[in-house]
Amino acid sequence: MSAAEPEEAPGHRERSQGLTRREFLHATGGVLVTFAMSGARGLFAAAEQTTGVDPNAWLRVGQDGRITVFAPVPETGQGLRTQLAQLAAEELSTPLSAVEVVLGDTDRVPVSEVACASEALPTIGVRVRQAAAEAREILASLAAEKWNVPRSAVVAKGGRIELLADPAQTLGFGELAGGKRLVRRLKDPAALKPANAYRTVGTSAGRVEGLSYVAGKARYAADYRPRELVYGSVLRPPYLGARLERADARASIGQPGVVAVVNEGGLLGVVATRPDLGERALRLVEASWVGGTQASAASLYQDLRRTAVLQEEISHRGEVEAALAGARHGFSANYRTPYAAHAPIEPEAALAQAEEGRLVIHASTRRPFLHRQAVAAALGVPETTVRVMAPAIGGAFGGKEDPSLSVEAARLAKAVGRPVLVQHRREEEMCWTHFRAAGLVSLECGVNDEGRITAWACDVFNCGGRDAKPPYEFSQQRIRSYQCDSPLPQGAWRALGGLPNAFAREVHLDHVASELQQDPVALRLRHLDGNPLMKHVVMRAADRYAWRDRRPPTGLGVGFACATDAGSRAAVIAEVEVDRVSGHVRVRRVSVVQDSGLVINPEIVRSQTTGAVVMGLGSTLWEAVRYEQGRILTKGFASYPIPTFRDMPEIEVDVVPSESQVPQGPGTAALCAVAPAVANAVFDATGQRLCELPLSPSRLRGGK
Amino acid sequence: MAERAERIVIRVNGADRTLQVERSRSLLSILRGELGLVGTKYGCGSGECGACTVLLAGEPVRACVTPVSHAEGRAVTTIEGLGREGALHPVQQAFLDVEAFQCGYCTPGMIMEAVALLKKNPHPTALEIEEGMVGHLCRCGSYDRIVRAIQLAAERMRT
Repeated sequence: MSAAEPEEAPGHRERSQGLTRREFLHATGGVLVTFAMSGARGLFAAAEQTTGVDPNAWLRVGQDGRITVFAPVPETGQGLRTQLAQLAAEELSTPLSAVEVVLGDTDRVPVSEVACASEALPTIGVRVRQAAAEAREILASLAAEKWNVPRSAVVAKGGRIELLADPAQTLGFGELAGGKRLVRRLKDPAALKPANAYRTVGTSAGRVEGLSYVAGKARYAADYRPRELVYGSVLRPPYLGARLERADARASIGQPGVVAVVNEGGLLGVVATRPDLGERALRLVEASWVGGTQASAASLYQDLRRTAVLQEEISHRGEVEAALAGARHGFSANYRTPYAAHAPIEPEAALAQAEEGRLVIHASTRRPFLHRQAVAAALGVPETTVRVMAPAIGGAFGGKEDPSLSVEAARLAKAVGRPVLVQHRREEEMCWTHFRAAGLVSLECGVNDEGRITAWACDVFNCGGRDAKPPYEFSQQRIRSYQCDSPLPQGAWRALGGLPNAFAREVHLDHVASELQQDPVALRLRHLDGNPLMKHVVMRAADRYAWRDRRPPTGLGVGFACATDAGSRAAVIAEVEVDRVSGHVRVRRVSVVQDSGLVINPEIVRSQTTGAVVMGLGSTLWEAVRYEQGRILTKGFASYPIPTFRDMPEIEVDVVPSESQVPQGPGTAALCAVAPAVANAVFDATGQRLCELPLSPSRLRGGK
Repeated sequence: MAERAERIVIRVNGADRTLQVERSRSLLSILRGELGLVGTKYGCGSGECGACTVLLAGEPVRACVTPVSHAEGRAVTTIEGLGREGALHPVQQAFLDVEAFQCGYCTPGMIMEAVALLKKNPHPTALEIEEGMVGHLCRCGSYDRIVRAIQLAAERMRT
């Protein structure tokens, strides 16, 4: 089914979805492209023209000539489905409308460990493209055999194979894909199309989900309405880390709308005919809790440092201590980034229902296979009896990973024998998921007489080493990552530690430049000779903005920063205005230059990059999870403000044309770079060097 | 003490719907739970994000904090009822053409608010659009495209 026509509610029409993956592929036949997962050549394919197949099929050419791509990572709004369709259409020289992409359904897609959407393009995108190229070669060779000509005498064109010598002679993909059983194992990976032959890649094809979004027809996990649906509400702890010791739920039983009260194995859930009635009944439960933390945000950075244990030496080059001691100038500072929430507008949801002896779950998750595994383990059943589907997802940003909600829905559905939907209320979404790790980054560097940074020592506490390695060349450097006892649960978040690490590094360089009265862009360029791609991005950004001739009007400041993340490189120039009385920072303009490798769809890349800037501005100016004595205080959008219409600067995105054949995730590098760019602009405007995010007005009030 | 269900008639997307529901229940819970109109989204339950916005007698309201009793005898329009004869409303079409979305979850609420905004002010400036839409949150950060889509819809609706 195409994404523009959303799936019917389960239990209504989609009987075929009750099939296992193997049965499904059996039933439908056609040419399937699978990959042998062993060996160094991960992309070496075997293709079969048959019905029975192994479960690693990535692409099918149906007997109707339509192409189906199967890929493991769900669509969370980044345009993955559209871009995969473009890659497949390109290699097969078939219209985009002939390609359908199935994502995130454990019965229909191959297993994958790729969970990170920003990694999906260079891994899964490359694989889908290769699968399409293999399929093209199979179809072309089948046609060549039929016509008794060499492979080189035929070409794929418009969804058909054409005889070069006589273009009137063609065979449809469907005709070629149907028929006899045949197994082909390709000796070598099929060649990919050269860039100068692209027809679909590089064009801004519209998002395939677009129509369903604007028509209100896209189905998210909480939108399915199977017969007999009931709603689960789960008792959450009053403070972080607390475990349910004892609960008396007698008062909830028999309340209006209550179907069942489940109190087993640490789960206390009320199942009711309406979510509000379940919540009302849940409030009558008397519970006692054990364990948990009394931590408060006020002591966050001391807590991290106090519990730090060296985890990893990320890089060590030269005699760093000696170089620091012998340097002409030395600069050291600590940089702090608090916990951040994902805060998607769609709160997480999971719907579990029994179907023909199996359990089917619709979950708003980036990781359907992880959910399947957790649900099977929790229920003590084989994984083959559980199917997890990720329908439309209302934003993830590194969240929507933890399988708790699917497990809760599954356990409640099993207890009541009816379909159960569990959806987070906003408060649960803000309090009971994981957060972006808070980070403390301690930096020390030494500079010689010529203004070159000769020593760089970096200690990263808690937020991990992602992007802690500078894109610059410093002759001596030592980078260490320390694990700490995090008071809050933490995990994936757009770019993970990339933002805290880029913030520290790029603000520190700005500090060095201003102390030594150097131009901050020139300082960076001096250390980028070993990184020509980044150097190009930095120079392009400076040229576009006319950095050298910049003359910000009084009261305005301009700041520069750059970052690499997920294979992309971004340079950001930000203009800010600071109200000296209130301390309020207004970002007026953000100019981004980004290289994210092969551009499959320019509009999607621009949209993703702009979104990264917006989310980065949230981390820069407002966002911090506040907690006191183990209780999260930021429970909604009033206490945890995210960027709004009113906060939008003018955002320009310039996408660097790339020679690369590999697409990279475009949605994180600019997010990392915008925070330090704004902080550096605030320094330019006020002379105040802020080393802690967010750059809140209280820190800037009463400035000069 | 539990509130008693009562008979309430509301006109939803042009058709009268007779309901037997508690008057204090939110319009959102009625639309999604009783009428199956799941295009209207739950985002926060406190009127802070705008995802549940529908039109009540032509005015945009947050369905999550609007008691169904407020809709008694009045016309409610949801995203499902916006198009005419299978065609998209010009605001929907403009959102599609500008690709003013990433995950699509806030989109129905944004579109409903924009429809009401353009009815009041057919010639909005970008600033007026931003001010008019400010109660709507888009975590994906598609704000600039949404402003452009509303400007495009305004242009098309004038001609």
